[in-house]
Amino acid sequence: MENILEISNLSINFGGVKAVNDVTLNIENDSITSIIGPNGAGKTTLFNLISGIYKPTSGKVILDGKDVTGLKQHQISHLGLSRTFQNIRLFDQLDVLKNVQTALDARANYNVLEAILGLPKRYSVDKKNSERSQYFLEIVGLGKFANEKPKNLPYGMQRKLELARALAAEPKLLLLDEPAAGLNPTEVEEYILLLKRIRKEFKIPILLIEHRLQIVYTLSKQIYVLNFGELLAQGTPDEIKVNHEVVAAYMGEEEEENNAEGK
Amino acid sequence: MDFYMTLFTSICVNLVAILSMFMLIGLTGIFSMGQAAFMCVGAYATGLVAVNFDIPMVFGLLIAVLVGMLFAFVVGMPVIKLRTDYVALITLGFGEAVVALLNNTSNITGGSMGINGIPQKLTAGIAAFILIAVLYVVINFKNSKYGRQCIAIKNDQISAASMGIDVNRIKLMTFVIAGGITALSGGMLAYLTTYVEPMAYGSSRSIDWISVVFIGGINSLTGALVSGAIFGILPEALRFADALRIVAQCVIVILVINFMPNGVFGGYEITDLFKLCYKKISSFVSKKKVKEG
Repeated sequence: MENILEISNLSINFGGVKAVNDVTLNIENDSITSIIGPNGAGKTTLFNLISGIYKPTSGKVILDGKDVTGLKQHQISHLGLSRTFQNIRLFDQLDVLKNVQTALDARANYNVLEAILGLPKRYSVDKKNSERSQYFLEIVGLGKFANEKPKNLPYGMQRKLELARALAAEPKLLLLDEPAAGLNPTEVEEYILLLKRIRKEFKIPILLIEHRLQIVYTLSKQIYVLNFGELLAQGTPDEIKVNHEVVAAYMGEEEEENNAEGK
Repeated sequence: MDFYMTLFTSICVNLVAILSMFMLIGLTGIFSMGQAAFMCVGAYATGLVAVNFDIPMVFGLLIAVLVGMLFAFVVGMPVIKLRTDYVALITLGFGEAVVALLNNTSNITGGSMGINGIPQKLTAGIAAFILIAVLYVVINFKNSKYGRQCIAIKNDQISAASMGIDVNRIKLMTFVIAGGITALSGGMLAYLTTYVEPMAYGSSRSIDWISVVFIGGINSLTGALVSGAIFGILPEALRFADALRIVAQCVIVILVINFMPNGVFGGYEITDLFKLCYKKISSFVSKKKVKEG
């Protein structure tokens, strides 16, 4: 199977700190892949490198066969990468529907003259995009909140809205940064079902950062483990569960030894 | 023109400029502290052309718009990529530089004497027509994908860029259009007052506009227009109070900022009122139908 994303020897230094150091990983087309690791392992930094918020010190990012290393965020977005953020970043002054529509607006094909003169093409394109946005809202189950302001939605729905917005860009690869952070157990269940449904419907490969191992183990086909900016391990959920290095990084070395002695 | 007509016309001219300020601050979050400089540039462009050549007003104003856009492009190119506070500082500097430059190049611009003898061509009707035309453009801009992208950029730049919005391009585009509109108001002013002189376009004028937009409600076009009109009338209405009128004006500003931090209109537009009425009426009608049924 070919890879949608290939990262080779990617590194970034902030001063003397190697936040991401020589990471190489491949994301298969048509699957969910997860990145796990303790706090400060460089997971979000890695996402920021892939999506163009940071420029890598060295290494390469190849998205769908195209080299996107060092490109700007919006260019990478147009090449088919969409993401959500760990601390939800919605547009507070736009209502829920228009939040989704921004993704389509960035791809709408009418120019500034057609916009300011109010020519019919603008209206027809906007109408089509607005209907399309509504469709994405329905998918995540926010259809009836279209005219609310995002701030008035509960946290779990804001997460879903961000997902709908990312989907509306019709990406080739979706990056989700801790999508279940701050959700209660019921919302987590819902979110898992939603992700499964989206996988089924859109066939988009998903790269996931997550702390809740429940989600990681149920959804992902392949798991990468980061620690101190370096790749610690990789494998299927079953392999990762029994990997000693991973358990040590997560639980701490001493615990591990005590348990061993106990046995 | 009698007093009231002149007052009306000058308010129209000011509102055109305030609309451009709304595009910058209200929509995109670009703090241009030297926006009056674009008005100055427009006024001089129109003034120079109108004095030296006998051309119809349309062309005089068109030249103002083009020159304003050109200046906005040149200034905007390097500035727009910076953070909000630096943009404010640099545009402030640009504004003062333009005034100083015009003051000191007496052979072309007449120095502090300015340019005199511009034909008085702007009537109240034409001014109102131009205001409505500009309003049409700004409303369309606000309701199109560009307006939504501007608001997205104002709310969260990183998130906007991750949606595929070319932040710098949209910002520069808004800056250039706003520059053109401000320069248009400058051209109108030249045709109204028949003279231009540099000192009238200092930073205090830009800051006046900023405060008008803030008082009306930074997210409301209606608010910007209404407060622009009120602050145009206020100095005349308070004329009897002499020097105290400046105090009165300041008190109003302080009260509004204190008790309504989102401005008088908040995020509401006049169209929201129409929509509300429509909703009320339609729900009333449907209730009646249910009763009858």
